[in-house]
Amino acid sequence: MTGTDIILSLKGIAKSFGDKAALKRVDLDVRRGEVHVICGENGAGKSTLMNILVGIHAPSAGEIVLDGRAVRIPDPIAASALGIGMVHQHFTLVPSMTVAENLFLGRQPRRFGIFSDRREMVSRAQELIRRYNFGLDANARVAQLSVGQRQRVEILKALAFDAELLILDEPTAVLTPPEVDELLEVIDGLRARGRTILFITHKLREVKSVSDRVTVIRHGESISTHRTADVSEADIARDMVGRDVFLVGRKGGGAARSFGAPVLRLDRVSMANPHGRLLLDHVSLDVRAGEVLGIAGVDGNGQTELSEAIAGLMDIQAGSIRLAGRDVTRASAAERQASGLGFVPEDRLDRGLSVTMSVAENIAATNYSRAGILRHGFVSRARLDAFAAEKIREFDVRGAQPSTPVGWLSGGNMQKVVIARELQRDPALLVICQPTRGLDIGASEFVYERILAAADRGRAVLLISSELSEIFALSDRIGVMYSGRLMRVLERAEADEATVGYLMNGGEERAA
Amino acid sequence: MTVSSLLASVLEQSTPILLAALAAMITLRANILNVAVEGMMLVAAFTAIAVGSMTGSAALAFFAAVAAAILLSQLLALLTLRFSADFIVAGLGINLLAAGGTLFMLERFYNSPGGLRPTSFPDVWHVPEGSLSFIPIVGKAFEGQSFIVILALAAVPLSAVFLYLTPTGANLRAAGEDEHAARSAGIRVAWMKALAVGISGLLSGLAGAQLAMDKLHFFLPDMTSGRGFIGLAATLFGGGQPWMTAAASFLFGFFGALGDRLQVFAIPSQFVLMLPYVAAIVGLTFARWRVHRRNRPARIAESKP
Amino acid sequence: MREATLSLFRALGAPLVAIAITMALGFLLVASITDDPVQAYRDLLFANFDSLGNFALFLNRATPLTLIALGVIFAFRAGIFNVGGEGQLYAGAIAATVVGVFLADLPAVLLLPLAVATGIIAGAILGWIPAVLKVRLAVDEVVTTLMLNTIVLLFTSYLANQVIRDTAAYGAVSRVVPQAIWLPPMPGVPGATSGFLVAVVLAVVAWVVLFRTEWGAQVRAAGTNLRFAYAVGVPADRRIIGAMLVAGGLAGLAGALYVLGIGHRFEQNFSPAYGLVGLTCALLARIHPIGALATALFYAMMLNGAAYMQISTDVPRSLVNLLTGLLVLLMTARLTAGRRG
Repeated sequence: MTGTDIILSLKGIAKSFGDKAALKRVDLDVRRGEVHVICGENGAGKSTLMNILVGIHAPSAGEIVLDGRAVRIPDPIAASALGIGMVHQHFTLVPSMTVAENLFLGRQPRRFGIFSDRREMVSRAQELIRRYNFGLDANARVAQLSVGQRQRVEILKALAFDAELLILDEPTAVLTPPEVDELLEVIDGLRARGRTILFITHKLREVKSVSDRVTVIRHGESISTHRTADVSEADIARDMVGRDVFLVGRKGGGAARSFGAPVLRLDRVSMANPHGRLLLDHVSLDVRAGEVLGIAGVDGNGQTELSEAIAGLMDIQAGSIRLAGRDVTRASAAERQASGLGFVPEDRLDRGLSVTMSVAENIAATNYSRAGILRHGFVSRARLDAFAAEKIREFDVRGAQPSTPVGWLSGGNMQKVVIARELQRDPALLVICQPTRGLDIGASEFVYERILAAADRGRAVLLISSELSEIFALSDRIGVMYSGRLMRVLERAEADEATVGYLMNGGEERAA
Repeated sequence: MTVSSLLASVLEQSTPILLAALAAMITLRANILNVAVEGMMLVAAFTAIAVGSMTGSAALAFFAAVAAAILLSQLLALLTLRFSADFIVAGLGINLLAAGGTLFMLERFYNSPGGLRPTSFPDVWHVPEGSLSFIPIVGKAFEGQSFIVILALAAVPLSAVFLYLTPTGANLRAAGEDEHAARSAGIRVAWMKALAVGISGLLSGLAGAQLAMDKLHFFLPDMTSGRGFIGLAATLFGGGQPWMTAAASFLFGFFGALGDRLQVFAIPSQFVLMLPYVAAIVGLTFARWRVHRRNRPARIAESKP
Repeated sequence: MREATLSLFRALGAPLVAIAITMALGFLLVASITDDPVQAYRDLLFANFDSLGNFALFLNRATPLTLIALGVIFAFRAGIFNVGGEGQLYAGAIAATVVGVFLADLPAVLLLPLAVATGIIAGAILGWIPAVLKVRLAVDEVVTTLMLNTIVLLFTSYLANQVIRDTAAYGAVSRVVPQAIWLPPMPGVPGATSGFLVAVVLAVVAWVVLFRTEWGAQVRAAGTNLRFAYAVGVPADRRIIGAMLVAGGLAGLAGALYVLGIGHRFEQNFSPAYGLVGLTCALLARIHPIGALATALFYAMMLNGAAYMQISTDVPRSLVNLLTGLLVLLMTARLTAGRRG
């Protein structure tokens, strides 16, 4: 099965959007029947590469060779005709339709030329489900399925049309740890059936557990390809980043530090979804003045809910939240900010910024009165611009004038705008989520320095991140979230990757 | 007042509303709020009268009316789907264009801004009197109705079959519900939307033809008088489902038929005419309220340590 | 200053293409009808300035258009697609009339402000309903405002026909409000309502409120990215509802000022789709208050000019309705070549 038969070969693939090069030069050989991981940081060009393979983008240069023939892939239909199937990170299922209808969407079997042949559709769907042992009900509506089940429908959809080469784009990002395990089993099963799988991820752990070979992409170029068994996680990480990681970090490891009184105190905070499942399950924690408390965990284990509950953006159904000695359980977001909360949300485009508004207005959004922008109750344009210009300088926001729409900036500079706004008040508590997601190394280091500087000034910092490297580099204590629960809070000294990783997967006892 | 004659007048009142509602429903399933039904109906009504009086042929008038509405619908599709105009603004533009255009034609070519009343006009096929008298009550109500009424009734199951039992219908619903999913399944979303708008043009054309050709045989500048919007209200009230939409249309048609009779009881007709619009707001609010309730987080027992 | 000019230019650029296409098509139509299309177009656009009387009528036309456009701008800036201008306008007009007719015995110093205030409040209530439904339950505001338009029109028709009807007059027309509360004419332009000055002042005020106050910044934050607005502590729900109260209030004011300054009574057909045309003006101005003043003036010019054109040539005045439809159809389209997703 894992012979040297090359199913797919990419030669010098490049892609530019306008004058921005998303891919500079990618060379890749994929062998028939292997699980091949494409690994790289956010923004390295992985998704662009896959979109080229499924015909969403056309390459600006280079050649795609499939089964020994150079091919052109103009659209997703052509890709599927060539036997390339893709499972997107964002599901492409229609919720109100059944599993069978979704499997055959766009290519339903017909009866009399015009009607859908529903019976045929359902029986073929059931056969597929049986063949791959996916345990789905062909007549269930997708809206009623769990995330893991939906993903299996996605995979089946790709397989239904005889995909020889299956591309999975960050498939674990949306899954809970047990669902991840099931997915890895599914992938094993597919490999056993001779399918070839391209698995895209930036999570090193998965690379090791699932793949035969791994190719690292950095800044739009393929850097290296190895047999997974021959390399360590650290080797892969070095290739991804381009140098040894963890350049900044908490000096002294937190051992010699003394911290102040708790600034944030959560007492058995719980949040439920409409079906009664606990999104936050009795979470209690303290963040003290001067410390960085890092919250690790796989995405989707309650970190988002935790941050939004603290920020006053989602209601909790039980428990209490105290901020700087005040009970803010029922307080509005504005009241919490007045009590000393600074909040950097995980997705800057979603909650962090209004991209059509100017840099100045985005930085000033919470600060009009505090920053002295108002004169006689009206906004003074001169003061607003001066204030923004000062922040742009201080936070090194590149390519920005005060009046530039934020949407014109790069991801890193957008993030600097968010951080500039939230730190301007010098908040007693800074809640910062996924602070370097999609940022390059330079911007990331800048963000790290700001976080540490805030802690050094005696501010409390709650850092929520799914990047273990930054949790370890910045935190004084490390908490791990799993399935809505805060598993344990470890001192930095007693936290090692193995223990944290164990807790992230739901293990409880070993670390005790 | 016999049951048959009330039923007949409900049928007559409901038919343009039902057709307009189905027109709005098809586009709604493609995720388009179609406010242009009114304008497409108006143009069809005008075309029917203009062509009918010119050629003396009912068939030509009918087909010209439907063709005009489809043409207008594709103008809307072109501007929104190809030139990415806003659907609601452009739809309102279609209404203004229809009102302004027909008025302009009246003034320019017929020199009568008040309306177009041809002295003679070809009649369309109606169910002959006495032909259905063997069916109690209902048969009598159908006698004298135009063939478009029959078409409208047939359009309800036909649209249900189209939406739920054909691959094209499934593609159209997918394009409306999740564009991303549809596109990745190889469905051409813009084509599906253009198709939906085209079907809504066809149905609006039938509605306009019915208004002008059934009994009146003339055209007035504002003769659709909001039926397109009542149809939209019926669709929203019916949640975009064919049978519910049809039920709502008949309910609103019933209000309309009732409105004429209630004036006897000193209830101002305006209040009766308001009912469809109030019902649409209330119905939509209720539907949203149910979703809102369902999405509320569950309670949590405080006791767990 | 340079920057302001630049942004004004950008704001006008795209809609100008739609206007140019519409005017060009209109010219072709006119040329096919009359031998003297240039004369017809001159009348369409500039006959408003031939006499002081024409000019006065032109300003009267521009007044409700400007106010409705300003209202639409507040709503749009808050992210609400308010197509309810017509209903809000009628609500304001009928409310002011009802107060004027039924409380005619009150002294004018009380009655005038009372009538204006009632008009504003009536419009504001009609803005409030869709806003609350949108904010609390996410009910689509296009549907609610659209449906409310018809409901209000039917309701005013009832009042005008059955309750405050002037039985001596022809058609659905109310009794005349007391002359004491008629708005004074504009200084120097007899026949023009001083309401126009109110509209001009409010256009400037609207700009200041939207772009030079924290309230305005919060409204725009809520309108451009609601989840962002919540996250930075903007009371977005209140701002959206507030903006819709202002929007409805402005359209209601337009109705009240029309009754008190121009019509002096409620007429069921007083509006040639002011609501939609006001929306058009707002969108053509790229939802900028000062720009909306300009587009409202342009539109008033066309609406009145059509009548002069019909007198001097034989081009039907409904040409302008046709052109309006065309313009609305085209104005949100991306007609500039070359850019396609």
